[in-house]
Amino acid sequence: MAHDLGFWTLQALNALQLSMLLFLLSIGLTVIFGLMHFVNLAHGSLYALGAYFAASLTAVGGYWMGFFLAPVVVAGIGILLYSGLIKRMRKSGPMAQVLVTFGLIFAMLDLTRIFWGDLALAIEVPALLDGRLAFLGVEYPTYRLFIIVMGLAIFGALAFVLGRTQIGAMIRAGVDNDAMAACLGINVERLFFMVFCFGCALAGLAGAVAAPLLSVTPDMGLQILIPTLIVIVIGGLGSLKGAVAGSLIYGFVQTFGAVLAPQLASVLIYALLAAVLVIKPVGLFPAKG
Amino acid sequence: MFRHNTLRYAVLVLLASAALFQAFTAEYFGLEILTEILILAMLVLALDIVAGFGGMVSLCHGALMGVGAYAYALLSTTAGIAPPVAMVGAVALTGAIAWAIGAICSRSHGIYFIMATLAFGQMAYSYVFEAPIFGGDDGLGGIARLDLSFVGIDLNDSRSFALFCLVVLGAIYGVSVLILRSGLGRSLTGVMHNEQRMRALGLTVWRVKADVFGLSGMIAGLAGVLAAQHIMYISPGLLSWTVSGEALVVVILGGLGTLVGPLVGAAAFVVLKHELSAVTTYWHLVVGVILIAVVMSRANGIFGWIEARWGDRIERRLSDTTRKPEAKEVLGDA
Amino acid sequence: MKRATLAALGLATSIAMPAAAEDIKVGLLLPFSGVYAALGNEIEAGFNLALEQFGGETDATFEIVREDTEVKPPVALGKAKKMILQDDVDVIAGIVSSGVLGAVRDMVHGAGVPLIVANAGNDEATGADCSPFITRMSFSNSQVNRPMGMWMHEQGIGKVYTLAPDYAAGRQMIDAFTASFTAAGGEVVGQEFTPFQKTQDFGPYLAQAKASGADAVYVFYAGGEAISFVKQYDSFGLKAELPLYGSGFLTSPLYVNAEGPAAEGVITALHYVPTIDSPANAAFADAFEAANGRVPSEFAVQGYDAARALIEATKTGASDRASLANALRSVKFEGPRGPLSIDPSTNNVIQPIYVYETVAGEDSLTQKVLAQLSAEADPVNGCEMAPVSN
Repeated sequence: MAHDLGFWTLQALNALQLSMLLFLLSIGLTVIFGLMHFVNLAHGSLYALGAYFAASLTAVGGYWMGFFLAPVVVAGIGILLYSGLIKRMRKSGPMAQVLVTFGLIFAMLDLTRIFWGDLALAIEVPALLDGRLAFLGVEYPTYRLFIIVMGLAIFGALAFVLGRTQIGAMIRAGVDNDAMAACLGINVERLFFMVFCFGCALAGLAGAVAAPLLSVTPDMGLQILIPTLIVIVIGGLGSLKGAVAGSLIYGFVQTFGAVLAPQLASVLIYALLAAVLVIKPVGLFPAKG
Repeated sequence: MFRHNTLRYAVLVLLASAALFQAFTAEYFGLEILTEILILAMLVLALDIVAGFGGMVSLCHGALMGVGAYAYALLSTTAGIAPPVAMVGAVALTGAIAWAIGAICSRSHGIYFIMATLAFGQMAYSYVFEAPIFGGDDGLGGIARLDLSFVGIDLNDSRSFALFCLVVLGAIYGVSVLILRSGLGRSLTGVMHNEQRMRALGLTVWRVKADVFGLSGMIAGLAGVLAAQHIMYISPGLLSWTVSGEALVVVILGGLGTLVGPLVGAAAFVVLKHELSAVTTYWHLVVGVILIAVVMSRANGIFGWIEARWGDRIERRLSDTTRKPEAKEVLGDA
Repeated sequence: MKRATLAALGLATSIAMPAAAEDIKVGLLLPFSGVYAALGNEIEAGFNLALEQFGGETDATFEIVREDTEVKPPVALGKAKKMILQDDVDVIAGIVSSGVLGAVRDMVHGAGVPLIVANAGNDEATGADCSPFITRMSFSNSQVNRPMGMWMHEQGIGKVYTLAPDYAAGRQMIDAFTASFTAAGGEVVGQEFTPFQKTQDFGPYLAQAKASGADAVYVFYAGGEAISFVKQYDSFGLKAELPLYGSGFLTSPLYVNAEGPAAEGVITALHYVPTIDSPANAAFADAFEAANGRVPSEFAVQGYDAARALIEATKTGASDRASLANALRSVKFEGPRGPLSIDPSTNNVIQPIYVYETVAGEDSLTQKVLAQLSAEADPVNGCEMAPVSN
């Protein structure tokens, strides 16, 4: 199969776009884990909620209303979850946390079915981002470019906040050693709360952004959960660098796997995950040794 | 190490008599449910051995069960091997695969161990789903049950099959207790509590983990063989990670590291699921809420709660309270 | 428990429970949760509508037992066993996924309970695995795709690239199309099967289709995957240079509005389109829309015709399992899809196939029928069974 350069550019952009979508999801999950040692399996459900709220809000007030408000609504749900459940679960062991969030997956799956029905929903791409842009010698859908740019922007912003600001230093201290950070006068509990809500908002944003690209179905949260977990485990838990590396690896392996070895496409990423864990049992860039 | 106390014996006797009562009185659908419970109970016993006593929380036990089921189906139908031999072959194969997974994953801990096992489980799922020899999405049918007619038992009868599963489950329970009481089982618990110390004592840690994982895989494989015989039809859904997830839920719901608890959990889960799905198609919601409520009650599952509440009263001297907090901390090193 | 024993052994050919006078107990076996819940609801709505409209034509009365398959073959098999052994149903209707059909096939065949299939399209069910007790009122995977191969070649399309999810139904649909398209003289220049229910981004495959040098793309996708695919196909701007054809499930009325303008101009073929111009269809479509507030889909019509077939069968006086199974095999009537009959050599429905284009309507998308291809029976495909007894 001889393909020209344009073909590979197109595929690289596809890979990048998938990576950025996964990055939005995995960064929230990984920082929540790194900071709170909390395995939130319901993260995918928050993503699905983001997509559903975006679909409903778009029907009311157009795409941008969904885009901006869906993350806020999902963050609101995050506040409810945090104060109702997660705060009380902080002291119990990880198994209990896994179980509670597993229960949340079940519950939220059916709640979306009750509120929005079993039929798939969809959102139209806004007029501003409709169409294609000529880019590096290929024509690429504007909306996909928008996802790539937004992902990169959020990465940049997070890298700045985590690396250069006081709040970032507090979060890093919390990830390294939360007890010590608390001793130094950091209100760790408030920090947890903020990070958790922000992670939820990012998951909601990912849902809102993915909705026009894909279809909105009740099981979309369950479908995205495994890829997200793979990303953060390959990258190493708790680190921004890990989330980026994991997302890029996943996006490129998945996309180029589909092109170069279609028979292996679905096994490839799991084989890679197993290989990474055999060589580096804690992922590529873990937050702490 | 695993110990029986009066409460555990009492619950075991209670469960066994309930199962026997159900087996002799239930109508057709009741027997189906009973068999489903018994097979799930085998799977969760296998999972409790590795997760509750070795800290190896596996998300591939559903896939291992599926491997057992598919191996039995292929050996007994396509390869035309007699069912008893095919059963042994399927269990041995599953055990070997589980041993290899256990060996490869032995360096990972906590969430990484969960993810590594998930990866292997999903690999098996994808492979079975796509390879034509396994019948793909449409699955495989025409699976025969074990022929015990030479002793006058017809396993094609639902009641006999349920009783057969009950006997097998009893045997598996006995073997599980023996494994946990053996030197291997004691080493395993030692590894869970302090891997470094066990290594310093000269123990080959990865071998212990792999051996126990392999044994647990054999039990899961046997559960798969019986599941295939029970339904007489298998599909890739059996290997899906959600099956492993549900099994894990049952283990924790019942009481991690208690062996008896997961049995209670299996019965509760299946009965709850059937009762609810008869009433509403939104039964996941109710199960989810119950799950959250049970965990929020801060007990080590249903059985752990019973034990914490009445265990001492029943058995003052042989209290188990020292072990439970540790059992909860299996993910603590993540 | 003797009956359970016999049935499980597969020895019992007919354990007909003589139903009280003409009260027929119907087991409705459909997914009401899981990925196909929407289809289950749609089929049930059609089924109930037909009972309402035509129930008066027969003396029989119907009692319905409904069970949720959850789209899981083992669950479905357990429920089917319960219906047969505990509820004593006279007939079972429903079944959406081919996997579920494969799981219950031996059970209904062994117990001699008539099964009216209202969706599952795997060719084997009316081929090598056919049974005198299984009658299909929906379609077979080959049936809905085969005519499109010839038709597309007649339209002057020479080279085609195909895409479908990687599972049994996806492969059967594409294989049937490929066979007839190449037999007509066309060439398939590339073929890809995407991981089933795991592919959300079709970008990599679309880029390959674009680079393949084909004149058109032929695909099979359904449900959520269909929505994602059609939208992504359009977003890459492929629709103009590389027209999109497919199996009609791609633009089913059930979810075509979620696809939006991206679906305009897509040409597909299926056994039912809500805009078929006939009095029977108008009556059905109006009644369905009045009752459910949406345009009926092919799934609704399958449920509708399944109930209709059952009513027709009872009109012959059949009232127990054996006589119902026999009567179902020679059912014949004019429905919304046109003239329907059962092929006695495979028990699959014989029906016309409609080629249609999705076009913009007044306030939502609608379907323009381009051609009605004549009804054809499937080849026997290794089906061997006893002939209909009179």
